[in-house]
Amino acid sequence: MKKKSRISSVAAPVVSFLLIFFIWEMACVVNEIPAWFLPKPTEIFKSMVVDFPEFWPHILVTLEVVLIGFLIAIPVGLTIATLVTSSPLLNAAMSPYITFLVTTPLISLIPLLMLMMGYGLNMRITTVVIQSFAVINMNACTGFNNVPVIRKELMQSMGASPVKTFVKMTLPSAATDIFTGLRLAAIFATTTCISVEYSAGNTGLGSQIIKYSQYLKTTQSFACIFYVTIIGLIMYSLISIAQKKIVSWKE
Amino acid sequence: MKEPKIKFDHVTKIFETRNQSITAVKDYSMEIQEGEFVAILGPSGCGKSTLIRMLDGIIPTTSGDIYIDGQKVNHEKKKMPQEVLRKMGFIFQQPNMLPWFTVRQNISLPLQVFALKGAKWEKQVDELLEMVGLKEYANAYPSEISGGMLQRAGVIRAMVHDPEILLMDEPFGALDELTREQMNMELLDIWSKTGKTIVFITHNIEEAVLLSSRVYVMGTQPGRLVETVDLNLPRPRQLSMITQPEFIEYRQKLERFIGKIDLSKIK
Ligand SMILES: Nc1ncnc2c1ncn2[C@@H]1O[C@H](COP(=O)(O)OP(=O)(O)OP(=O)(O)O)[C@@H](O)[C@H]1O
Ligand SMILES: [Mg+2]
Repeated sequence: MKKKSRISSVAAPVVSFLLIFFIWEMACVVNEIPAWFLPKPTEIFKSMVVDFPEFWPHILVTLEVVLIGFLIAIPVGLTIATLVTSSPLLNAAMSPYITFLVTTPLISLIPLLMLMMGYGLNMRITTVVIQSFAVINMNACTGFNNVPVIRKELMQSMGASPVKTFVKMTLPSAATDIFTGLRLAAIFATTTCISVEYSAGNTGLGSQIIKYSQYLKTTQSFACIFYVTIIGLIMYSLISIAQKKIVSWKE
Repeated sequence: MKEPKIKFDHVTKIFETRNQSITAVKDYSMEIQEGEFVAILGPSGCGKSTLIRMLDGIIPTTSGDIYIDGQKVNHEKKKMPQEVLRKMGFIFQQPNMLPWFTVRQNISLPLQVFALKGAKWEKQVDELLEMVGLKEYANAYPSEISGGMLQRAGVIRAMVHDPEILLMDEPFGALDELTREQMNMELLDIWSKTGKTIVFITHNIEEAVLLSSRVYVMGTQPGRLVETVDLNLPRPRQLSMITQPEFIEYRQKLERFIGKIDLSKIK
């Protein structure tokens, strides 16, 4: 029974994936849709392979920005969440700004950051960090604030130091919420990076999507979009796997 | 006379909430001698947990003093020093196990926090696991064992650092009747073997009479000490004693004090 459900949990998305692309393909063929308007999936996959040398440097740039930004955002988000939740005063002082950061459409900040930092990697990474640390922070705060009182009392009754309390009790208690934040942040990091590349510079997958669509090379444009999707998917699955490995207990 | 093990001297606790101040414990005094098994009995909300949490340094007092071995241990602001906390083991109403640790790791937690290392303490863990029949489950996770086993684990976690005092806040309240009776007898056994001082909180009159040598009856609004009843019942105590006339007499006396309601029936 269990094995069966595992097989179907893998098979179902694969089948639906193939089905969607088949319908897409057939729709293009039957209606004779021109490639500049909507390319056939087979053409897109072909371009992903054939034009790979052309895409590769841009994939690397995007990957670099997403990964570095995400990896900086994790400690920043967790540290701020720890500080904020350990003091009601800091919490009151800072939480409005965190909320601003999450709710402000980052697109609106990009021109400003470009003005201050130029088109380079630093500016892109900064934008990714700003956008993704806030989600990590928000979810970690939720996790830290929802630690059961009775567990805090357990640590208090032994006079445990703040560090021991944090490592042995608070952090694992909040682990599930923290991972939710990380997964969201991975998505935020990818979308933010692409948005920045749309408007700044001529490297990175985002800039290529714009470039190819301006030349009506829609197939290549789609190929780049698929690579973005793959980057997002890989990040998301890596985090899910890490979560399964680390948060292996049942509450 | 000997210094009492635990002494409450006119202890008051007032909670300041947003719209009112609640006097959870008012002017509470009691003295408990070393090796005694006492019960604190009272209806829900009378401040029993507050009382025991002040003693265990989880919440500060508002006024009055608490002494352990003649040493004043409470502060209105500061935390209780760790060497005082080491003298006590706290057993919660829920098992309160940390789900990411195995049973053994959970039980060893106080050893890590109090920085007690070495073969002696490892042996202590083994012996306690053996004593409550959890040896085979040492490497299981809390989600994998039963409620009764979890509560046993909670009891030995509070004993692992060899405290002189056990503080129990309705420890078996969440268990079914049968398991609870069994746990009570095991507890009496532990007590007679180790001679620890035990403060046992309950709202079950029968349980209080069966286990303790003295019952402190608390009343509500404000939470305060209403009556102290010494129990002259022979030891070792047995479950069969609950039908004996002396037992019933004590039970009825306590029932009268708490207003003729059988609180064990209130859930
Ligand atoms: N942290 C707190 N803040 C405000 N009021 C509190 C707090 N803790 C307890 N109280 C109040 O103090 C009173 C006594 O609570 P306490 O938990 O000590 O009662 P109890 O005798 O243990 O009850 P129960 O048998 O239901 O556990 C209650 O009125 C409760 O609302
Ligand atoms: Mg209580």
